[in-house]
Amino acid sequence: MAFLRRYLIPRLIQYVLVIFFGVTAVFLVPRLAPTDPIASTIAQIRSQGSYLDPATVDQFIEDLTELYGLKGSLWEQYIALWRRLFRGDLGVSFFQFPTPVIVLIGRALPWTVGLLLTTTVLGWLIGNIVGGLAGYFSRQKWSRALDVVAMVIRPLPYYIFALALLLLLGYLVRWFPIAGGASIGMRPSWTWTYVRDVLRHSFLPALSLVILGGTLWFQTMKLVVQNVNAENFVQYAKLGGVKEGKIVFRYVIRNALLPQITGLGLALGQIFSGALITEIVFSYPGLGMLLYNAVITGDYNLIMGITLLSIVAITTAILIIDLLYPLFDPRVRYR
Amino acid sequence: MRGKIIFLVASLLATLILLVACGPAPTVTPIEVTRIVQGTPIVVTATPVPVPKEKAPDVLGILPRRETLIAAQLTGRVGSPDDFNEWVGWKWRDRGMQQLMNEPLWSVDFATGKIINGLADGDPIYSEDFKKVTIPLRKGVAWSDGVPFTAADVVFTVETLIKFEGFNAHSFFAENVERVYAPDDYTVVFELKQPNSRFHTTFLDRWGSTWIMPKHIFEKVEDPVKFPFNPPVGTGPYKLHSYDPAGYWTVWEKREDWDKSPTGILFGEPKPKYIVFQAFAHEGAKILAQLTHQLDAVDLSAEGLKAALAQGETNRAYQRTFPWVVNNDPCITGLTFNTAKPPYDNPEVRWALLLAIDIVEYEAQAVDGMATMSPVHVPSLGPYPDYYIKPMQEWLKEFTLDLGNGETFKPYDPEAPLRLAEYAKSRGYVIPDDPAFIAQAFGLGWYKYAPDVAEKLLIKNGFSRDAEGKWRLPNGQPWRIEVISRSDMSHLEFKNAAAAVQQWKKFGIDAVHVPSDNVSALTQNGEYDVSGNWPAFEPWGAGPDLYRVLDVFNSAYVRPIGELTQGHTSRWSSPEMDDVLKRLRETDPTKTEQVVAIGTEGLKILVREMPGIPTFGYIGFVSWDEYYWTNWPGAENPYTQPYTHWGPFKYMTPFLQPTGR
Repeated sequence: MAFLRRYLIPRLIQYVLVIFFGVTAVFLVPRLAPTDPIASTIAQIRSQGSYLDPATVDQFIEDLTELYGLKGSLWEQYIALWRRLFRGDLGVSFFQFPTPVIVLIGRALPWTVGLLLTTTVLGWLIGNIVGGLAGYFSRQKWSRALDVVAMVIRPLPYYIFALALLLLLGYLVRWFPIAGGASIGMRPSWTWTYVRDVLRHSFLPALSLVILGGTLWFQTMKLVVQNVNAENFVQYAKLGGVKEGKIVFRYVIRNALLPQITGLGLALGQIFSGALITEIVFSYPGLGMLLYNAVITGDYNLIMGITLLSIVAITTAILIIDLLYPLFDPRVRYR
Repeated sequence: MRGKIIFLVASLLATLILLVACGPAPTVTPIEVTRIVQGTPIVVTATPVPVPKEKAPDVLGILPRRETLIAAQLTGRVGSPDDFNEWVGWKWRDRGMQQLMNEPLWSVDFATGKIINGLADGDPIYSEDFKKVTIPLRKGVAWSDGVPFTAADVVFTVETLIKFEGFNAHSFFAENVERVYAPDDYTVVFELKQPNSRFHTTFLDRWGSTWIMPKHIFEKVEDPVKFPFNPPVGTGPYKLHSYDPAGYWTVWEKREDWDKSPTGILFGEPKPKYIVFQAFAHEGAKILAQLTHQLDAVDLSAEGLKAALAQGETNRAYQRTFPWVVNNDPCITGLTFNTAKPPYDNPEVRWALLLAIDIVEYEAQAVDGMATMSPVHVPSLGPYPDYYIKPMQEWLKEFTLDLGNGETFKPYDPEAPLRLAEYAKSRGYVIPDDPAFIAQAFGLGWYKYAPDVAEKLLIKNGFSRDAEGKWRLPNGQPWRIEVISRSDMSHLEFKNAAAAVQQWKKFGIDAVHVPSDNVSALTQNGEYDVSGNWPAFEPWGAGPDLYRVLDVFNSAYVRPIGELTQGHTSRWSSPEMDDVLKRLRETDPTKTEQVVAIGTEGLKILVREMPGIPTFGYIGFVSWDEYYWTNWPGAENPYTQPYTHWGPFKYMTPFLQPTGR
């Protein structure tokens, strides 16, 4: 009961409040920006050569205002938004009218989740395992060599690093495709041919993310392990003749993992914002470009849909970490 | 110490990887690229990436490469790949819909200056009062599912557009059409609510038009606005084969009954069996794809085109020598003033800003001197020099500005193109002395670089310089001009804005360039000083009619700042221009002499008032790979317009030749 009252319920209330304020902020911010979805639509139609008879533009603006649900005061639009959200309706995209936002997100999400979930987890696992070992055996030559490699890779701007991979493996040696998520003419299906094709297209973007992400985890884990390694309880364990394997995994890495688990939770939550630069460099599908285009065209419903997903994902990740933390850290459990 | 050595070695290794990836090839000739730094051209040498010699792949995905043509999609990744309902919102119609799937009633071909009859079988026939128009339709055309195309499709389309508010063209047809009917299967008649001598142009494809719906498909649909029209059915020579659900490519396959499309009837069998439109998220990927023969036609930036030509052994541009670019695109670029906002509401201030521009320096910075300058608000390209710019030469030479105190100035400079040609020669390009070449490549004239005259005009209007020579407004405040443009650096709006800022800074104005992704809303709402927007709407590209150019300056369309304008973003208008427009509306667009006379009056008003500065005609940086396909419509053989993203690309397909590789 005390757990419920003192631990669970406050966190659930916090969870709901964060989502409420997040949605409110996402509703207001684009409307305060100078972006105008109707101007964007008209500009797109005009700038792409179509002749909109100027004499009928006023009526067209009126029609679009009605269709986009932008009639009425801010307050009326805000109430209408919550009504729609409670019905599970995210509305239609203005710029890709009349495609529902949920369809657009549903189309981009598998690419983003497939790429970022895999690379985030892989990068985290490789970085932490190698970093943990390198931190514990920090005086070994291989550990110092890895440190130097990480120091060289880590400061590289992601864009440059990804472009270098593209040039090297996509253009010069031609092992991987230059652009896209699947080969031209391939229809999506659960066949090995299609899956292999998708994996081949995702290799370069994944490699770039795993190397740079893994390097970060490596560096932080190595530092944390070195700190934990210097703690008195580890020194006493060594002096007390505790086996090295037990010291490494039960004493050092277990303690060092706590902040890394928090980091992993947050990183997993953030994957729903997409990876814009990866998508641009490798012409790879995903949520990042969808969100970017929504912002520059003032596509309020689409901005709301993607950011709502991101807000819910991050707050849920934080909630789950909070709830699971007692399992990893006995000090929390005892409090 | 050892750590430092390891660090050094690792750093060198990483650098080496980057150099291998991005570095030079000894067998490839370096290219020279000019950068203008504070008005001074600086030539730098760029060494290209080596071209791999291995054989290009025979199969691309599942398509036989030698039978497939691949073009880059101009507007990028398709946001709604499942939706082909062109009549609602924006559907990335250059994914092949307008070029291959659809046939319009008429198309503009700016390269030949002709109107091509597609679904129509001739010109529209207007009644004398312009309240009725009859359109003859082509016989023998079938939709791609085999159903014959008839006048019933046209009638159904217009009635449906009027009935549902969600269609883009709803308000146009609702406000214009009283009645539409088909006296027989191949004739359609429109009765209009008010006289409109240009009504038919809504069906004239110039990178978009009102398309005809297949009645037999749409009549079964409850809500045609939300209908995704997938798979689409068209009257063009190709039908949909497949598309990427993520929006990166669309594949079109030649119809077995291609001879039932207007393209087939007019020009014969298209050569490529498959045509792919592929989107790339950045220009580097486009160039890499073309260098590896995975992309046959692409629009690049100036820098991208130079890189592609330098590195691709089978690449070519529209022109085989300098200036390489497509320079017959019917569009004038330049700058637009917000004339609803002081001091840009004053034509003398606008003229002063024009005279503070050295057009040679300006073009050098913007496009390395590759574009054709124009002193008026139509490009010095296509039919417009003959119809307008040449006949206006005497008037332009005599055009005079009043500088005050009895002093006057004639700003026109017919020698400006020669100065630009000298600049190009100084860059090492081979320029023939033939006046016809210079006129075609660089234009017929522009305005003098006269900062001293600009100064007099500004002083006449109460401006002053401070102790440091910086300009101040009549109220004594420092004069700061924000020039906004799109943020895409390769776009000519960006290049015009950047060049103007350099010129005005040199003149002593605190000018800044503000690239923005939100430029459309800012300009349409009037929240800017000067923009890189085109100074006038683009003309049709065929025929002399300037109604499309001038009508946007109609005073009825002007809205206060803060409201979306209906007309041109300059928000400029005048009773004189209204009168020109009234007379143009009442003139049959096919009566060349009358149309040119009224159009010339309109252009003269725009020169006097200068609501926007015309600088140079639009140039396209097209790169074609001739590894798989040849006989592209280059400058030596411009049998049709050269772009793969324009509608008449379909009329290019029967003339392309496979190399057999």
